[in-house]
Formats: sequence, C-alpha cells, structure tokens
Amino acid sequence: MLAFITRRLLLLIFVLFGVSVLLFGILMTFSPERRAATYVTSPQQAKDIPKIIKQFGLDDPFYIQYFRWMKEVLKGNMGWSLVASRPVGEAFWNYFPVTLEMNLFAAPIVIIFGIWLGTLSGIHRDTWIDHTTRILAIVGWSLPTFLFALVLLMIFYGYFQLFSPGVLSDQLTMFIIDNPETFTRFTGMYTIDGILNGRFDITLNALAHLVLPVSTYVIVVVALNMRVMRSGMIEELSKDYVMTAQAKGADKKTIYIKHARRNALLPVVTVAGQLVALSMEGSIAVEVVYNRHGIGWWLAESAVQLDMPVLMCICLFMGVVFVITNLTLDILYAYIDPRIRLN
Amino acid sequence: MSEPATPLLEIKDLHTRFHTLDGTVNAVDGVDFDVYQGETLGLVGESGCGKSVTALSILQLLRCPPAEIQGRILFEGNNLLDLDREGIRKIRGNEISMIFQEPMTSLNPVLRIGEQIAEAAKIHKRMTRQEAWRWAVEMLRMVQIPGPGSRSKQYPHKFSGGMRQRAMIAMALSCNPRLILADEPSTALDVTIQAQIMSLMQKLKEEFNSAIVLITHDLGIIAEMVSRVVVMYAGKVVEEAPVKELFKDPRHPYTQGLLGSIPVIGRKEQTGRRLQEIPGIVPSPMETPLGCRFHPRCHKVMNRCQEQEPPMIHLAEHRRVSCLLEA
Repeated sequence: MLAFITRRLLLLIFVLFGVSVLLFGILMTFSPERRAATYVTSPQQAKDIPKIIKQFGLDDPFYIQYFRWMKEVLKGNMGWSLVASRPVGEAFWNYFPVTLEMNLFAAPIVIIFGIWLGTLSGIHRDTWIDHTTRILAIVGWSLPTFLFALVLLMIFYGYFQLFSPGVLSDQLTMFIIDNPETFTRFTGMYTIDGILNGRFDITLNALAHLVLPVSTYVIVVVALNMRVMRSGMIEELSKDYVMTAQAKGADKKTIYIKHARRNALLPVVTVAGQLVALSMEGSIAVEVVYNRHGIGWWLAESAVQLDMPVLMCICLFMGVVFVITNLTLDILYAYIDPRIRLN
Repeated sequence: MSEPATPLLEIKDLHTRFHTLDGTVNAVDGVDFDVYQGETLGLVGESGCGKSVTALSILQLLRCPPAEIQGRILFEGNNLLDLDREGIRKIRGNEISMIFQEPMTSLNPVLRIGEQIAEAAKIHKRMTRQEAWRWAVEMLRMVQIPGPGSRSKQYPHKFSGGMRQRAMIAMALSCNPRLILADEPSTALDVTIQAQIMSLMQKLKEEFNSAIVLITHDLGIIAEMVSRVVVMYAGKVVEEAPVKELFKDPRHPYTQGLLGSIPVIGRKEQTGRRLQEIPGIVPSPMETPLGCRFHPRCHKVMNRCQEQEPPMIHLAEHRRVSCLLEA
C-alpha cells in the first residue's frame, strides 16, 4: 500500500514536469514583444519594450527561459501576478479558499444526488420517475453554464432581490477588513471562519451567497453522475446474481441496495472523482458570473491579461489535483471492489 | 419405490407467454407433471424447448419481458400462482430453492461467499448475523469445501467453477427446502467436476430428504441421477416414463432421437453410423408448426401428423406419450 502510494507520488513529478514544459511551450509561441507588453501600463512606456525584453531575457532560447523559471519555482518563487498585484504564491492562497468552499458544498450534493437520482431512475426504468429525472438531467447538462447562471441570477437577484452575487455582503466585508484583530481568517472560508469566530451572521451571509453558485454547479454537473449510476443500476439488475438473490427470497430493497447498487457504484466512483477534480479549477463560468474571486475567476482574468506566472501556477495545481484524485480513486476502488488489489 | 399418494408439486396445464414487440411467444404451452417427496425428476429436452422457463415459472422468477403465467402450480396443495409477491418470496429459497447453470456469474462479485450463503437463512429462519454465518460455514463444510471457515470470508473470484457451484448448492440447501430446482447445474463445469457435483447433490438430497427437479440435456446424468423422466419438446411434454423404461423402450420418436444421439462405443458396427442426430432445430416458439410440433423433424412422420395435434396417451402410471403412432 505504502509502496503503491509512493510510486504514484513519484509519478507526480513527471506529470508536473510534462505539464509545465507543455504550457511553457505554448506560452512561448507569443512573441517576446507581446509578452513584454504585459508589463507596459501606459502608451508612453511602449518605447521601453526592447529594454524589458533584454532585462528579462524574453528572447532567450526556450530551454534557457524554462530553466530560469524552474529555478525560481524550486526556490518557492512562483512569480508576480499582475491580476492580483501580489506574488502568485500568496495570491493563490487568497483565491483557493473561495473555490474550495464552493466545492465543499457542491461536491457532496453532486455525488449523493447523482447516486440517489440514478438509483431511483434505474429501478423505475421507463416510468414517469425515470423520464422526469432524465429530462431534468438532460436540460441541466446541455444548457451552457454561464447562461444557466445568468438566468438564475436574473430571477433570484434581479427580480426577488435574493442571493446577491459575491462572497459576502459589502458591509460585512468592510467590517472584516477594518477589524483584523476581532475577526481572524483561519481558513479563508467565511462559512467556517464565521463559526470559529462566533460570528454566525457572517456564516449565514456567506451561505446565502453560496446558494446560487452551488445550485448552478450541481444542476449542470449532476446529470453525468446520475446517468452513469442509472445505466450501472440497469445493467447490474439484469445480471445472474440478482436472480440468485431473488431465488433466495431476498426482498426488493435488499436486491437494489445490497446486491445491485454496490456493483453499480464502481463506475460512478470514477466519474464523481473526475468531476470533483475538475471543479477544483472552480468552474470558471460560475465564479465569473457570480463574481466570486476564486481560482476560476483568477484563471479567466489571467488568461485575458496573459498573466503567465498565474497560468503556469494554476496548471501545475490542476496537475497535482488530478494525480492525487486518481490515486484516491484507485485506493477507493480497491476498497469497494474485492477483485482489485493494489500492486 | 413406493411413492406417497399426494405429490409435493403438481403442475397442471402450465402456460407461460412472453409478450414481446415481435408478438407473443408461447414458451411453455400446456405442461403438466408431478413431483413426489424425495424423488429426483429429470426434465429433458433440447435447448429452447421450455425447460428453464418451466422451472422459472414455478418460482415466478421471469422478469423481462413481462411473462404471463397461466395454469396451476400446486405446492403441497397450494397454488403458487395465487400467492402475492410477499407470499412467493417466502417460498423462494425456503421451501423451493434453485441452482443455476452459470456458477461464474450467479454469485455477487462484491459480497463474501459466507454472506451470500447466510443471506437465505437470515431472511427465512430469522437467524442473527453470527448464527447465519456459522450456519453458512457449516453448509460449506457439508458441500465439501476444504477450510470452510477461511473460505467463507473470501469473495467469489477466489473460487473455481466447481467450488462456486458447490457454494450455490450450499446456498440452495441452506434453508432445508422441500424441493430443489436444478437448472443444468453441471453444464458449465468440466466432466470430472460434473461427476463430483452430481454425486454431491445425490448425497445431500438423501440427507435433507428434498425432491429435485433436474433440468438437463445430458442423458448420461439422467441415467445416473433420476428415477423418472419428463421429456419436453417445443413447450410441451411429449413423453414421461420411469428412467429404466425410457432407456429400454422410448416411445416418442423425439425421445428415440435423443437417445440415438448419445455416443455409444460399437454402434458404428451395428448401424453403420457413429451418431444418429435429429435433423433440424427446435422451432421458434413464435412459429410452431401445425399438428404435431415435432413432425418436420420426425423420421416416422405420417400425413395426419401435419394436421392433427397428438393427444396425450396414458400407457401406465407415470408412463405417457404424446404421439399419433400410439393412438
């Protein structure tokens, strides 16, 4: 087990190397002038571009620039983020809790709801229950996320004045900025910090701000999970061992829950794991529409402004997330399916 | 062998139909036979002649497409077809249990063997988890699995085909049922294992005093295991006879054909052919031939076989044949 985990974590080094080389290569296709221009803030400075290129060595060969970047990264210096106006490493820990907070709420709902609806749909195949859940899932899955987010925002905020965008109301945000000594930011997640500081009004306010983003994300993503669960359930219920269980006199509930569902869960674990990993990049559309400054929003802004250190940082982060997710999934598999053994 | 007067299981005029998109399929079309306490009855026929559907109809295990079962299935005098879902569930695995053909797929891959055997005892005998597990280990010992204690904790993939079938037998016997429906229990196993499984079933049947309906197309197994044989063709019973009489004096041309297709050393010298096969295949249940269903393949076919459905002719007790040659 330990050997397995160690081997997988060693693999992480290669993955990160590959990801960084690939992305660095893509960013190098921009001309040195274009990359230098990101440092220019006014038209008067435009004449400084050749100087900037020379100073930062932007016209050096690819590998020299890459190793220069790598040396700094290994020293723990990820560079300066123009979007955040602070070092990338520091900015990351600022944005990450916002994304993580949304996922802490969204991921369990996506997984539990997907499994529940999928099981229900699979058991009651071709009845109105099945049709309803499937239609809802298809609608959610096929609507563009940004459109769906905008519609929800228009209805609930625009019309009913409920659930404003952002992370926290302006009033409370100002309070936190003005009183750093009475409100400690332990985790950076307001729902949790509110409880830790005994300020339940902040927790509630943060929760209210989470309603729409979490709903949007859940409705858009749950469909995939549900459909995998549904088809798994239908397939497992047609297998011979189900008839064996019936012939033993097992009732429906035992057959569905104890026999079929455990087998049907195997493919769902894969899908759910990938969904959770993917959502760590913060569902860009959700964060942009609801104005939540998390990883997704940061990524979108940085891509527009060609904030290269940020793009590199987020891609490396996603590499780490995917490797660790797959590792967790493999361990989980070995736990659920007795036929799979690690090593 | 003296048999008690009332049969354990009486099947009367059983019809099982499937309504499919392509039309109605009469898989079982007016079958009747009796099973007595403690006996082994053989149900013989080619693939697709309705043997398995008959067995599945008894426990109402037919799922998809929706089956329509008509007739009467009297088990100890009660019609199983009158029972509601809960009533039949209490019979399944408890009074009547089933052994399936495919031991490789008939066990749940993610549950321990012991758990799967213990399940029936937990459901029907209201045993606690520990009691049921101990009982499962005991059952594994009875079906001669070495090291039953540690084996019960394993998952099915660690078991060979023969061992899985033993586990299936243990499962079927765990509530001491009155009747066991064994649907080709040895077909998927290799020959040496087949013999072991069969003698094990024979031995346990006597120990538990259960009756067995043995469904097979292997006449070798029939000769060894059963006391009475019902021969089915295209959803109907064509002949019934005590096993010795059937082998000595088969009356129906189909039975004769089945017996002729057993390889016998030295037959070539007698008849000039190694094997006497029956030409053609079982007709699809959707387009059964008019008259006698066997007539297109029968080597003794007469003109009236094509129009007239043969009546069932009772020759003696448990000796009947459905053929116009006897009429």
